[in-house]
Amino acid sequence: MFLNAVVLVLQEILEAALLLSVMLVFTRLFHLVWQQNFLLRDSWVYYGIVLGGLGAGIYAQLTPQISSWFDYVGQEVVNAGIHVVTLSLLTVLTFVAPLSHLDAKPYARSRLVSLCMIGIVLLSIVRECSEIMQYMGGIASQPDNFTPVLFGGIIGAGIGVSTGILLFYGIVNLQTRVAFRSALILLCLIAGNMAAQVAMLLNQADWLPYTPVVWNSSNLIPETSVFGHLLYALIGYEATPSLLQVCFYAAGIVLVGVSPLFRRIWSDKPKPMVQYAS
Amino acid sequence: MSISRSRFSGLLARVCLPLSLLGGVSQASGAVPEIELIIKDHLFFPATIEIPARQKVRVRIINQDPSPEEFESFELNREKLVVGYGEVVIFIGPLEPGEYPFFGEFYPKTAQGVVIAK
Repeated sequence: MFLNAVVLVLQEILEAALLLSVMLVFTRLFHLVWQQNFLLRDSWVYYGIVLGGLGAGIYAQLTPQISSWFDYVGQEVVNAGIHVVTLSLLTVLTFVAPLSHLDAKPYARSRLVSLCMIGIVLLSIVRECSEIMQYMGGIASQPDNFTPVLFGGIIGAGIGVSTGILLFYGIVNLQTRVAFRSALILLCLIAGNMAAQVAMLLNQADWLPYTPVVWNSSNLIPETSVFGHLLYALIGYEATPSLLQVCFYAAGIVLVGVSPLFRRIWSDKPKPMVQYAS
Repeated sequence: MSISRSRFSGLLARVCLPLSLLGGVSQASGAVPEIELIIKDHLFFPATIEIPARQKVRVRIINQDPSPEEFESFELNREKLVVGYGEVVIFIGPLEPGEYPFFGEFYPKTAQGVVIAK
């Protein structure tokens, strides 16, 4: 029970912690590059975490009702919806944020960036932590399991949060340009993972059609192995992905990764409206 | 609820038509065979499910325990939470002939089973 709790909680926390780390990296980099011209406050992260925790509690309470929606596939539909909204916010973020220093009213854009980041972290915590709450809530009713599961959960959460912190300092200490690109690549992979999960969920609910399995790498890296688990949490590794999942994964990467490219093309055209003394 | 679902399905059908041609179009849910899987005392009943190969199947999972469980299978690419005394549905397949193990993520030592596609 103890080890199971460590793995289960770690798996869920890791996904949210990675996304939170990348968001914090972007906040730090925006401040570094644009300094006082970019009015993004660090406090957004607290709002995201607190609201996410509350949302996760509400979602866990509502899960019995949600499960019975749409002929008992409500969970898939709601979770896919959460992923789609998160992906939209990620796209808006990567599209809008880098333009802020060119804008006549950077404050307005900074506020939009903050709201996107709050939304992204909030939804990610709602998704991942509601499952932990379900697990913990169910186990709490059995006194024998309570202590090992509680300690296992705390250790799992500790490892997950530590990984996030390591990632944050690992990226932030790189050269600014390299750091920015690394964070963007990570964000693309997270987006791809999310989009692929949408495909899996909606196929599981029979809202999207069956598509053949594209490859089988279960002999090379089994999903049950430690490395497989880690890759799953990091980049959404699947040993036997369907064609639809692969297509959605690619679309997620393009959606988030192409936005900054558009920005580069567009930002070459208009002249900066505000001149900064540098 | 049903109106919004059918509208959404219609939209999905249009968007996913090229993909569905590759993989076989979804059947109407009424034509899909259904199998019942019970969770009791952190065990699956039946622990072995035989289904026809290359055919989509609807699996109704009924949890008779007060504690939640998560149906999970790496081989089937499926994962779903079932609350205590709750009931959910998942669709699996069409599957190639073979064995596809599944387990309960919250009680993996006892809650184990296998889908055999023949």
